[in-house]
Amino acid sequence: MKIQLRYLFLFASFCVLTGSCMEELPTRLEYEGYEYAELDEDAGNWNLILLTNPEQVSIPNPAPAGSPDLNQELQDAKTKIANATSAQRESVKYWTNNSLLRWNEIALELSVKYNLIPGPNPDGTYTLPNPADPSATPNFPFAHPPYISRMLAYLSVAQYDGLITAWHYKKKFGREAPYKLDPQISSAYSENGLRSYPSDGAVIAITSREILSVMFPLEKEYLAKLANEHLESLVIAGINLSSDVEAGILIGTAISKTVLARASTDGMRNAQTPKPISDSIKNAAFERFGWKWDNMESPQRPVGLTPLFGKVKMWNVPTVEEVRPGVPPAPGSEEFNENAEELKRYAANLTYEQRRIANFWNDGLNTYSPPGHWNRFAKETAVKYRLSPVRTARVFAYMNMAIVDAGISCWDTKYYYHYPRPIQTIPGFKTILGTPNFPAYTSGHSTFSAAAAEVLSHFFPTDASQFRKWANEAAMSRVYGGIHYRFDAEVGLNQGKAVAAYSVAKAKLDQAD
Amino acid sequence: MNLNSKLLSFLFGSLAIVQISFAQTPMDALMMPKGEICLAVVYEEANWDHYWEGTALRTNGNIGTFNRKMLMPMVVGGITDKINVIVSLPYVKTAATGGQMTGVEGIQDFGLSLKAQLVDKTLGPGQLMVFSNLSFSTPASNYLSDYMPFSLGFGANELGIRGIGHYELDKGPYVRGSLAYLHRGATEAERDYYYQDGSFYTSTMNVPDALQAQLAIGSWFLQKKLRVEATFNTIRCTSGDDIRSYNVPQPTNKVDFDQVGGFAQYYFKKDGGLGVLAYYNHMLSGRNMGQFSGYGLGLTYQFKAF
Repeated sequence: MKIQLRYLFLFASFCVLTGSCMEELPTRLEYEGYEYAELDEDAGNWNLILLTNPEQVSIPNPAPAGSPDLNQELQDAKTKIANATSAQRESVKYWTNNSLLRWNEIALELSVKYNLIPGPNPDGTYTLPNPADPSATPNFPFAHPPYISRMLAYLSVAQYDGLITAWHYKKKFGREAPYKLDPQISSAYSENGLRSYPSDGAVIAITSREILSVMFPLEKEYLAKLANEHLESLVIAGINLSSDVEAGILIGTAISKTVLARASTDGMRNAQTPKPISDSIKNAAFERFGWKWDNMESPQRPVGLTPLFGKVKMWNVPTVEEVRPGVPPAPGSEEFNENAEELKRYAANLTYEQRRIANFWNDGLNTYSPPGHWNRFAKETAVKYRLSPVRTARVFAYMNMAIVDAGISCWDTKYYYHYPRPIQTIPGFKTILGTPNFPAYTSGHSTFSAAAAEVLSHFFPTDASQFRKWANEAAMSRVYGGIHYRFDAEVGLNQGKAVAAYSVAKAKLDQAD
Repeated sequence: MNLNSKLLSFLFGSLAIVQISFAQTPMDALMMPKGEICLAVVYEEANWDHYWEGTALRTNGNIGTFNRKMLMPMVVGGITDKINVIVSLPYVKTAATGGQMTGVEGIQDFGLSLKAQLVDKTLGPGQLMVFSNLSFSTPASNYLSDYMPFSLGFGANELGIRGIGHYELDKGPYVRGSLAYLHRGATEAERDYYYQDGSFYTSTMNVPDALQAQLAIGSWFLQKKLRVEATFNTIRCTSGDDIRSYNVPQPTNKVDFDQVGGFAQYYFKKDGGLGVLAYYNHMLSGRNMGQFSGYGLGLTYQFKAF
């Protein structure tokens, strides 16, 4: 005993001295199924985004209570629950009764996985990912911030239209959940009385699988496996019967088609231009303003990131020109010089706090990017306020539409003005953050963040000051990091707010409040 | 054995690995007697223009040639004839010739090491010695480990335990081997999410543990005033991920390498006083790190303190 204690003590000292013994670190948002603050039973009346009517997707009438079909389903459910493996029970815990959050997390992880910029070939040329051959090197997609923002908007809109449709039928058919129909079945989550036909979880599983499979084609099998596990968990959790799940699959499948039809014609396929078009965009700016941005990498990248992302179809802003900011100060002007001097001061005397802010918000390559970062905040906030799935979807849909609109507007501005980065205008300037492959003005972080913060502030007014503080911090992080001038950040914040106003105006009229 | 020579080889053992290991870990075979103290300062400079992304050796125009300079003051003391203590505190500066990323400089890790002699006996025409060494190092400044490859170190505590065997012929030639287990703690990034074959929603990064081994063959010359040694060093992390395609490294990476080195030391007098040393190291193979080549120059001064 004495000896064992001594070893225990040695082991403990070992851990204390090194600070850990391989700590268990969180690999996902730590939340469990919860009781919804509201069931939002009338959400079937809320305004759809792409659909016009929830009955655009029809599902069969459910078997009535007491019918042999339903009894058989209940019997099957009980068998499945009784025979559930421990992995299946873990799966029930993982997916929770607000599974949109998990699928958003999966979308973010895939974003990170594919957020790798193609490196140069040995001869100094660059090969771009090919959507027609996604597994060629480099893999498709390169999930950069515009790509991620657009992907998240389609994911969230599909989920939202799917859930409004589901809520419409839940109310219309009013079928009770299995744990209400059969006393031998209990819900793995809080028994909130949500009607179960069609299954909202199945709608989320299918819309998410379908959208993400198109956005990340190499992950199709992985996503199918996840969706199957998710669908399976719905019955084992005691909240759905197989007919609920089947109806949810019908809705998810139909809505995904509508959403993906928009995606295939939104202009994204032309966003990454060949060099001649990129050069003509650059020359147009040079003729107009007398300056141009150049990529400073070695070897130089011939084309910036998605020069025509600014032409992608917006969700809520009628034309990109109406949110395009004015002309930035010319390089060499007095105002410009003041901004450049500020960057040199930060580079020479960055405080630890400023460095922390620069790195915290960097969200560059190999991360989920600023749009992902705001989706993470939205998830945490949805859990904090215990939102129902449909109300959660609403937050994500409006926020992600605003975020991608902000990205489109920002990219329009970037390539319209084609403004050089600090490493190009300030001789010998070195930075703690990598300079991205696109023009400076305006800052993407600032526009994305302000747009997200404004939409979240609309939905969660109590937390508005925190969201806006984060957006300002995200904007300034780029100045501390030496890759943006202060005017890129400040104008970008205003631009993001202007873009978000369109989404917020739409949300105010959506009949949810 | 002559005191100077003992001291100098003692020092060298700890230096051979310095340019790529962030904590100094004495791994030679010699001891200072009670009351002897040695002050040392070593300047080291190492470069790479190729690095291993995973195991694939490549260049990067946005780094060009990477340069790392280090100035390391060090104190070694004999607590008893059988127990020595070593303290070190390197200052490190990094920079790259290509790209626009700024280098960093500052105090790296404070290192403390205790070494005990367990065996010292005559065997055939020479002497067999066995040692055990316990080392500890901890970041001594607020440097950011998650700024690779420029970061000063991996930013985590390290506790090492090592066994050393040394056999030396009375005529001068010797052979030495050592094996160590290095347990590393966690380091803190300034971002609260990172990807390591999957998502981590935290700023805490586990730095992988490592096994380290050294093999040395050397000999004494000029009445034991000059020593020349060839070394082979190897490190294998026991876990960790690879750098992804055209991506930056991070502290969670599996860092391995094999390195060869040559070393010479010379002392001016037989009993204490001034000595000099020089060494050169080169990496043959590696994983998730720069292919360093570098040299070190050192000055030592030894005296009887108590």
